[in-house]
Amino acid sequence: MAGSQDPNENPVAINVVPMVDVIFCLCVFFMCSFKFKQIEGKFDSWLPKDKGSDGGVLTDVPLEVRVAMFWDEASQTTSRQLGSRKVKTDEELQTLLRDSHADHVRAGKPDTPVTIDADPRVPWKEVINVMNLCKRESIDKIEFAFGAGK
Amino acid sequence: MSRFKNPEAEENVSCNVIPMVDIMFLLLLFFMLGADMTQRELEDVVLPRADKVQQDAKVKAANEGTRTTVNVFHVHGSNGTTCTTFNAGQVCRDLEHWKIAIRSNYYTLDTVKDALKFEAEQEPEDDPTLVGKGFSKRQVMIRGDEQAPYGYIQRIIESCAAVKIYRIEVAAALPEPK
Repeated sequence: MAGSQDPNENPVAINVVPMVDVIFCLCVFFMCSFKFKQIEGKFDSWLPKDKGSDGGVLTDVPLEVRVAMFWDEASQTTSRQLGSRKVKTDEELQTLLRDSHADHVRAGKPDTPVTIDADPRVPWKEVINVMNLCKRESIDKIEFAFGAGK
Repeated sequence: MSRFKNPEAEENVSCNVIPMVDIMFLLLLFFMLGADMTQRELEDVVLPRADKVQQDAKVKAANEGTRTTVNVFHVHGSNGTTCTTFNAGQVCRDLEHWKIAIRSNYYTLDTVKDALKFEAEQEPEDDPTLVGKGFSKRQVMIRGDEQAPYGYIQRIIESCAAVKIYRIEVAAALPEPK
């Protein structure tokens, strides 16, 4: 091995010091550029294949649970409304979604979707939060409302 | 006094660097294997957190298409300017600062539909019930920053619907463990 040989056995000694230097440099480079990835998950959000793609205005009022979200630029906050009722906290919204979904199931309409109708300026995390609340209540059918006439 | 002279102790204090070189090789191998030098599909975004997200399946289903990742992220510090709103932890609503990127190519709200149309045409749907209806089996993953305006994601979803991409996923991060 280099560094511990009898010089008489091998007169040509290999100097490994530059190699160690290069390895140190490479190590520092890769350690500085290394980034631990955030663990990511996903929500499946497949679009319906039979409606909505032509962008037409709805003529019939569908049976739905509508969560409206508004953005207040002055206070940088999002306000939420379920139907006509203002909702302040996540727990309240989750309870209302649960009750509403239970009502629709009892009425024989378990596939009633929750429609998220948000202002375009609302932060994306607020919309994800509402989707997450729906998923907690096992509500899988979630729809997004688009503005008419685009 | 001893009859025999004590032999002089040989002082040979040399540092054996071989184990260190071995460890350095191992570290180098670890970081080289972990480094990703290829064109990145994922931009630097802070994903919104949700505890009901599902992990990606380890094995792709037979009828699944390849996935296109659409990133919506905030560009701050570009052109020498900084976004004071974003840096202060507030919600930035300057539309010039928010970008849409697919495979490091940037698009606007108006041009993203053309990019998605190109993606959709790469993989037409082969499900017998959907053949001929113009649908695409291309999957689209939307990775939006948690502060991104919902209007951007809304436009992306709208564009996907217009070009007949229906397999959409939205990315979220698992909450931090307590």
